[in-house]
Amino acid sequence: MVVCVHLPRFELTVAAGGAEALAGHALAIAPAPGGEARVGEVSGAAEAQGVTRGMALGEALARCPRLRLVAGDPLGVAQEWGRAARALEGIGAALELPRAGLAYFESDGLLGLHGGEEGVVAAARQALRRPVRVGAGPTRFCALAAALEVRSRRARIVAPSFAQGGAFAARGSVPHGSARDAHSTQPDHRAARRYLASRPVTLLGFRAETAALVEPLARLGIDTLGELAALGRDAVADRFGAPGVLARRLARGEDDPLRTHIAEERLRESLELEEANSGPALERVLGVLVDRLLARPERRGRTLRALTLSARLVEGGTWRERVVLREALSDPRRMRLALAPRLALLPAPAAYLRLEAERFGPPEGAQGALFDPDPTSPARREEHRGRLREAVAQVRAAAGPEAALRAVCVDPDSRVPERRVVFTPFPG
Amino acid sequence: MSGSRLLNLPRPARVRMGPGGVPRTVDGRQIEQVRESWLIEDRWWTGRPLRRRYWEIMSAQGRNLVVFHDLCSGEWFSQAG
Repeated sequence: MVVCVHLPRFELTVAAGGAEALAGHALAIAPAPGGEARVGEVSGAAEAQGVTRGMALGEALARCPRLRLVAGDPLGVAQEWGRAARALEGIGAALELPRAGLAYFESDGLLGLHGGEEGVVAAARQALRRPVRVGAGPTRFCALAAALEVRSRRARIVAPSFAQGGAFAARGSVPHGSARDAHSTQPDHRAARRYLASRPVTLLGFRAETAALVEPLARLGIDTLGELAALGRDAVADRFGAPGVLARRLARGEDDPLRTHIAEERLRESLELEEANSGPALERVLGVLVDRLLARPERRGRTLRALTLSARLVEGGTWRERVVLREALSDPRRMRLALAPRLALLPAPAAYLRLEAERFGPPEGAQGALFDPDPTSPARREEHRGRLREAVAQVRAAAGPEAALRAVCVDPDSRVPERRVVFTPFPG
Repeated sequence: MSGSRLLNLPRPARVRMGPGGVPRTVDGRQIEQVRESWLIEDRWWTGRPLRRRYWEIMSAQGRNLVVFHDLCSGEWFSQAG
């Protein structure tokens, strides 16, 4: 079972300074300075006036003249969400974090620890200590639909049904002998599909890949996920392409496995800025932060692979930028060269600058050879392997843990093509 | 991270058959030529046997395709050979 934990209007709640500020007030996150003039997350009162997330600012103000704009706070959101994620990890959950305010985890390994599905849900609630919507279902999308359905104090659990023997293969769209009928403990999709059938297609708006389909589907008169699931795959693919095929899969109760994030310790250094809030002076402040971060004993000689640069702006609001280094570094000069250009992206002078190490690389000390070694020598081969490991680690840091996989021949002479090769995690 | 995943899983295909079960169109594409056909039977000793008639074909646009007819369920699938 997949459990979905949803904290509604999380970004707006943090930016407005608490849930109380939203009650009865029409609020929206203001457009970022220098960015497109569209509002961010909106409060319930604003939504009731017809204002939605992503709406042009002019239209939003025309629809709701008393709309109050709140400066976005990406730094505060990241901090607050980081705390919530650590609290959930504290109950043993391996999390997928698609965006702030939304988390998924598999409950199967936690059932014994917390005493069943209800126990897991109660533990998640207790860990977060705030109103939260929780749903559980056979797939990620089904769990999200369940979480959005419930009120804060209750949880909705959509129980999966399991196929028995060959019945699943005979009814499903997967042929005999393929992956699914080899594992009869896999939940089938019927429970999720039944549950989702009457839900609105607006649920697709919660997934980045399918969000753009909500409006055209509504224009075509497709209001429920059941109607979408009943359409032919080819017709959907012709009209909407890959996002359409994914949306149809979700509506049919199918989804990909969770991509859980790896919990790592984080190191951060920050400075309040007086006059040095832009230009070369700010670059010197960045240099100080780099030096201080590298001097932290908790680093234990490890190199740094991914960093986050964030700032609180003089005129209100915050700014945040993630930087994945081309190779894991511990050389302050090269780190400054990689980070300094990002300061140009600051939308306004900064009052406070923070540098955070998000991912670590192998310990420093790898030294290049003075002379080019023999290309067939073991040392050279080891160097190539090291570079490959480094490249894999970089790809994973930038695009997630499943970004680098290895194809392994398990039965190359099998007459059944899908039994010949499997994808396995690439040893990093 | 999730575990291993099978590569080259069959994908459902929409096939119109001619005489003798020969594919005539695959997903709306006209078939120009049948290059080869073979039968796979496996797990016949279990309750879930595997019986597939494979067709290696070429579309009118010159594209090579491999499809099979699942003789147990009657459904068609495309798959790289």
